[in-house]
Amino acid sequence: MKLHSNPWLRTAYARLWVRAKSIYGEPLWVAVNVGFPFFTSFSFTMVYRAYGLGAYAGFAILGGVMISFWGNVLWSMASQFNWDKQVGLFEIYISSPAPITAILVGMSLGGILGTAPSAALVAILGWVIFAPPIHPFWPAVVLIFSLTLASLYAMGMALSSLYLAYGREADSVNEALHEPVSLISGVYFPSVGAISPFPFAVQAAASIIPLTIGMDALRQSLGFPIPTPFIPLYIEALILALMAIILLLASSRALRFLENKGRRTGSIAVRQR
Amino acid sequence: MRTIGPLAGVIAASSVYFVGSSAAGRFSPSQLAFILIGAALYTHVAAYSWVPTLAIAEGKWTYVFPQVFISPHSSLPYLTGRTLASFFSSTLTVIVSLVLSFFVLSWVFNTSIPFTVTPLSVTLLFFAMLVNILGAFGLGLLLSAYALFATKFEWALPTYVAGILMVFSEALFPVSFLPHPVSDVANVLPFTEFMRASRQAMIQGGDLYSYFYYIGLATLGGVILLAIGFLAFRYAENRGRRLGVIDKKTA
Repeated sequence: MKLHSNPWLRTAYARLWVRAKSIYGEPLWVAVNVGFPFFTSFSFTMVYRAYGLGAYAGFAILGGVMISFWGNVLWSMASQFNWDKQVGLFEIYISSPAPITAILVGMSLGGILGTAPSAALVAILGWVIFAPPIHPFWPAVVLIFSLTLASLYAMGMALSSLYLAYGREADSVNEALHEPVSLISGVYFPSVGAISPFPFAVQAAASIIPLTIGMDALRQSLGFPIPTPFIPLYIEALILALMAIILLLASSRALRFLENKGRRTGSIAVRQR
Repeated sequence: MRTIGPLAGVIAASSVYFVGSSAAGRFSPSQLAFILIGAALYTHVAAYSWVPTLAIAEGKWTYVFPQVFISPHSSLPYLTGRTLASFFSSTLTVIVSLVLSFFVLSWVFNTSIPFTVTPLSVTLLFFAMLVNILGAFGLGLLLSAYALFATKFEWALPTYVAGILMVFSEALFPVSFLPHPVSDVANVLPFTEFMRASRQAMIQGGDLYSYFYYIGLATLGGVILLAIGFLAFRYAENRGRRLGVIDKKTA
């Protein structure tokens, strides 16, 4: 099957290209994106080293890598359609024959490609400066990393439909979600399992967020010194795959529902600011 | 809503400390108090020190700042007003997040955090926050001087400065852990002295002599930074008027 003969693939490729080009066309973006994740992970690495356990420094570096993707999911996936709606782009999307799921998937792949350089830079700097002890099993790392990103961006797609429905407060919701989700997902420390500081109820609630399972699985596959794993690695891989499929279907259904409702009521292009 | 982010940030920093120190068998409530105060106050400084830069960066796009810029008075009173307004709102946010995180962490970590909460200690904390406006506004003006001329990514500069402050202001760990000569520079920053003074006021074992010593250093450093920021901004503003750069912007 050729790319140009399939409208879905063409749409996804076009959206991917625009997003990737916006980053790679301006290399300064990488420098801009790397700042906050790097300094935050540097600070937390220093906390681990200064107060006791330098062996856990890798938690903070991995956190700096993954926080870049979480920020991208929140700011460039979840709220993107809402912003597109405000500038009149969303009505072009829905009035064109381009499938909305293809736009979302293209946006996700472009977001991953665009975030990868800054995330890689955080990883390289962290590992060069602090050299944390790791014993990775690389095939598992690659698989888990891919599944984590798949489920995380699927969550971003599902959130985009929510933001479209309740768009007025998108920025405030992003501000309010970013830090708490990073906290309970255990981006910089294990929030689930034997060494989690949180009570069981919080750990159970945190486990429904793909980032929590993804972080725990990545820590296991990278061979960080965790005494007892929260859930065996292969089960976490299955959960992540399941989450990705469910969230992808949910986002597709939710967007179709909103699109149909918007068409019926004539509110689809109504800007809320 | 505005309290949720800072509160989560404070709890995250404290949890990192708890996980690391507990696993090493070196957990200490006074070190937890050190991190709790530092994380909360760092958020406070980061929240309002970038306001002048943001006012210019956003103001260029919304055409608010060019109106201020061409008015007969300098843009300095406008930036001062916006910074002070942000200072007051972030002070409220940081106090709420400090109180909530104190109770949440005492319960979750099952420990007693050695805070000194008396009318005197709270007054001293507020006084330290007021003194810190000098340094934070000076830093804001320095960044603003750059933002007047920058045509892209000037909005991202404060995130870098916030990140740098997190590392170099003794927010989460003593600056002595940084390598020389970086630790020497961090040691004399007014923000570092502000953190130390606030800890002397709020953590048990602090004393008034040390508090006023650090406040004196924070004031001195703040005045110097403010003077440098003021001169840099004045120079940039005059030069900007001559060159007509205020409408320059790129996507």
